[in-house]
This record gives sequence, structure tokens and C-alpha cells, in this order.
Amino acid sequence: MKDIPTFGGFKDGTFDVEQAASLKPDVVFMNIEAQTATEDAGYEDKLAALGIPIVYVDFREDPIKDTPASIRLMGRLLDKENEAERFINFSNQQMARVTDVIEQADPERPRVFIDRAGGYSDDCCMSFGPHNFGDYVRIAGGQNIADDIIPNTFGTLNPEQIIASNPQQVVVTGGDWEAYVPGGAWVGVGPGADMTEARRKLEALTHRTAMTGIDAVKHDRVHAIWHQFYNSPYYFVAIQQLAKWFHPDLFKDLDPDATLRELHERFLPLTYQPGYWVSLEAEDE
Amino acid sequence: MNKSTAAMTSPQQGRTFYRTMVLRRQVILLGLLGALFLSFCVDLALGPARYELTEVLSALLTPGSVSEQISVIVWQIRMPVALMAIVVGASLSIAGAQMQTILSNPLASPFTLGISAGAGFGAALALAFGVSIVPFAVDYIVPINAFLVAMLTALMIHLLSMRRGVTIETIVLLGIAMVFIFNALMALIQFFASQQALSAVVFWTMGSLTKATWPKVWVSLAVLAIAIPLLARHGWALTAMRLGDAKAESMGVRPRRLRLQVLMLVSLLASVSVAFVGTIGFIGLVGPHIARMLVGEDQRFFLPASALCGALILSVGSVISKMLIPGTVIPIGIITSLVGIPFFLFLVLNQKKSIW
Repeated sequence: MKDIPTFGGFKDGTFDVEQAASLKPDVVFMNIEAQTATEDAGYEDKLAALGIPIVYVDFREDPIKDTPASIRLMGRLLDKENEAERFINFSNQQMARVTDVIEQADPERPRVFIDRAGGYSDDCCMSFGPHNFGDYVRIAGGQNIADDIIPNTFGTLNPEQIIASNPQQVVVTGGDWEAYVPGGAWVGVGPGADMTEARRKLEALTHRTAMTGIDAVKHDRVHAIWHQFYNSPYYFVAIQQLAKWFHPDLFKDLDPDATLRELHERFLPLTYQPGYWVSLEAEDE
Repeated sequence: MNKSTAAMTSPQQGRTFYRTMVLRRQVILLGLLGALFLSFCVDLALGPARYELTEVLSALLTPGSVSEQISVIVWQIRMPVALMAIVVGASLSIAGAQMQTILSNPLASPFTLGISAGAGFGAALALAFGVSIVPFAVDYIVPINAFLVAMLTALMIHLLSMRRGVTIETIVLLGIAMVFIFNALMALIQFFASQQALSAVVFWTMGSLTKATWPKVWVSLAVLAIAIPLLARHGWALTAMRLGDAKAESMGVRPRRLRLQVLMLVSLLASVSVAFVGTIGFIGLVGPHIARMLVGEDQRFFLPASALCGALILSVGSVISKMLIPGTVIPIGIITSLVGIPFFLFLVLNQKKSIW
């Protein structure tokens, strides 16, 4: 892996078209966010002159809508169409295990606060609007308190708003950010995470001012989940886990851990390591 | 400006004229104070949790009698932000006012001298890479880094200004050079930072009062409480400085020494503010100019008027930033610039006499 050359990002204008051309790729994949900048810089034409097409994929701006198309496209270009279809089918099946139940039972939707990268900085609180994790929460049968407040995918809530909305569930997104904020208050969930430590840090986050007296904290409905699900074709695993937290009775038999394990065994060259989520309510069980 | 008129009249008329002028300035100061108090009350009363005025009042007066949620919202969320707006607004505006005074330059402010840019760079180092300049107090590495780099910048400007043949114009140029250096370093950090760190850095550079907490309010207030009497003590000397170094020196002022003392003091004021709330650009430039238009150069009025103007702008900005889209907080730096600059232009264009 260390022999693979790295690239600058396009958003910040550090993509080096000369480097890209000199590596003689058959195709260049770009995130859809970079499209405006790419066109602006005229790189499409420059690379086209060398016979290198640019293909835009999206796993982040609107993952639910764009992921299947992106996977399918990559499958076609990499000559792995069958694998791509198998993955999309798997994803659809796993999604249906949540959507079918929610549609049929039409349960009351708990108010959910998504604490984006909670504890990463002492500024409170970054969250998601109606997209990305906002979508995940809605599909999993919850109601994102920031839906009507944050106009786009990403935004920041007034801490007072969290107390005023009184969420019944809090979902903190986390990851191992030791390299960026050493010893920070973030919750380090992810492959092979130290669960005791993650749980301790999640508990510590509930003592922030913005969490004062909210139902979720009173009833230990505070959870942490791997932040990178926001930017990953495995989002359906996150949705399963959210659904299980929001509606434990409806999803007794759903096992997101098994889903993620199956995904690894069927599609990935990596061995599955658990640790992608943790909850404060686990103690009662 | 008014001296010539006064000279042509009798001493009695002059005395009356002076008394009226002082009275008018005192009334202006009182008016600013009243407006600030009003804005502070509105800041406390409004928020996405729509409490009645009576509920907020009882939370303020008898905190024991209300529910935990309302008392936390009023005392832990709204109050630190409302106070921080006033303290930071006053600090930045005083810093700008005195920089303009000692450097005889209407463009001087903590921003044009690179002190804020230095603070921003220090903060970005901490936000993006967790680099701490001092090995302790990990919880506060962002403000501590910001503060240290800002002070280093001020010291560097001072040391360079000690060289032979350096004039006050050169000091301003040095400051501008600092701004560009730190901006480039900042861009370099953003280049290497992760996506997540990047948004924290960007949010920080836009300035935000939501980071306000009681300890931060106390520290900023303490610095302001130390700085104001020290500056007020030099009030007459600073007023004299505006006549130029030579004239000030003939009145017994030692310009270089005074300039160093004031520079250090205002750097402290500006860097503490920037360290806690991020870069709120324009207060330090515009606050003092509005004050100068209202009350003139006399430090007895200019110093408090600058403080009040800065505090008022930021306090009103704080109200607008949380009311524009209820529930979210628009970075206050954007609001103060968008609201303050048209107001500033209105004042400048309608000014009959020259303001500098």
C-alpha cells in the first residue's frame, strides 16, 4: 500500500495534473465535490487530450442516492460488474431489513441529535442537516432534530437548541483522531477499538452543557458510531445499528455486527475487526 | 478643530463652550451605555428555546425557583456568550483605538499588525495537528497557542522597530508583512489538515462566540480590567501623541517607551480575545473610528467610547447571529462585518468634518 502514490485534493486546488498524467492511468476517479473545480481548471480537456477520462463518483454528498450508481460505474470500468451487482444487491437486501419493518410498523419516531465528531473540538455542536447521517436517521425510523434547522448536509447547532429540542436519542460520530487531536474528547470507535475507553469517553461527553437534562442522557440512550460511515458504501450497516437503537423491540433479531462481518467475508480482502459502535445503554442488558 | 472658534470668543464664552462640549460627550457615553445594556438584555432574552421574558427574569433573579434546563440555558449558555460579546468587543476596540493612536495610522488594528493572524496560526496548529507550544494544559492548547504566537508577533514587531531608522510607517509595513506570512502558513496548514480538522479551522477563522465559557469570560474580563486603568493613566500622554512625536516629546512624553508599553498591552488584549473566540475581524478597526466620530480624540472620552462602541457592535452582532436562522449559529465574524460595514460607511459618508 505504501507504494501507491498520493494526490493532493481538488477542492483546495492541490491536485497535480502533471503527476496524474505521468502515472498514465486508464481512468481518473474524482469525488463529485471536485467537479466544479476540475471543470474550472480545464483538467477534463487536458486529460482528455491524453485519452484519460475523468469519472465522478459520490459516496458523501448524497450517499443513499449515489452509492449504487457509483459502485456500478466502478464495477463496469474495473471489469468487475458481477461483484458490483452482488454488492448492490447485498446493500439493498440489508437496507430492506430496516425499511420494510419501519414502513409496516410505522413506529413513533424518537427525536435524535446527531453529534457530528462530538468532542473533536470544544465547540458545541456540529451536526448533520437532512442529508447524509440525517438521511440515515430518517430511514432508521428517527427524527433528526436538525432537519429543519441546518439547511444543508453539514452545519452547527446552537447548544441551547439541543436542550430545547430535548432529544430522546443521541448519536455521536467518532473515530480514532489521535493524530489530529491527541488526547481529545472524541470517541475512538472503529475497527479494533478499545471499547472500555470508547465508552468512558462517550460517557464523559454527556456532561457537556448542551446535554443538560435531555431525555437521551437521563435514559442512557447515548450512542457512538464510526464517523466514516458518512462517507462509505457500508452506510447500510450504520442504518441497521441506528434502527436497533431507536426501536429495540422492532429490531430484536437484526444483528448489524453479523452484517458487517458478512460484508467483510464476501467482499473485502480484510479480516473483520469489531468496534464500530458503542452505547451507554449496553450496561443495563 | 474647535480651538480656533474658542480663541475668538471671550474666556466666559469659551468656558461655556467647553462645558457644553463635555456635557454633550458625557451624554453620548451614557447613550452608548444604555444601548449596550438594552442589547445585552435582548441577547439574554432571545434564543431558540423560546422562554417567556418572565421565565428568563426569574432564572436570573431566583435561579433556585426554575427548572434545571432553563437555569442552565440562561446561566451556562446565554450569559457567557452575552458577556463575552461585550468583553471581547470592548477589548478589540480598545486595542484598535490605541494602535491607531500610537502609530498615528487610521488603518492600524490588531488585524493589520498581524497579531490576530498570528493568533489564528497558533490556533490552527493546535486544531489541525495537536501541536502544543507548551507541554501542559492540553485542554487549552488552542487558546494558549493562539496567545503565545500573537505575543511573539508583537515582540518581533517591537524588536524590529528598535532598529535604527525605523519609523512608525515601517512598523505598519512590518505588521502587514506579518499578516501575509501568517496567512501563507495558515494556507499551508489547511493544505495538510484532515477534512475534519479543516472545518474546525475554517469555523475558528470565522470567529464564534459559542465557545464562550465562564472561565474564558473571567480571564478576558481580568485582562480588560488590568488594561483599562493602565491606559487611562496614560490618557493625556496618548492624546498628546496624536500631535506627533516631536510635539508630544516637548510636552514631556517619551514616545518610544509609551509606544512599547501600549503595544504590549493592546497585544495582550487582542490576543486573549482572538484566542478565545477566533478571529472577529473588523471591530478593532471600526469601533474606534465610530467612537472618534462621536466624541473626538480626547482620551478621557475616546477610550470609554471605543470600548462601548466595540461592545455594542459585537453584542448586537451576537443577537443577530443567533436569530437569523434560529437553532443554528452563524459565525459572528460574518454578521459583524455585514451589519457593521454598511453602518460604518453611512457614518463616514455623512461625516461633515474630516475624521482623521
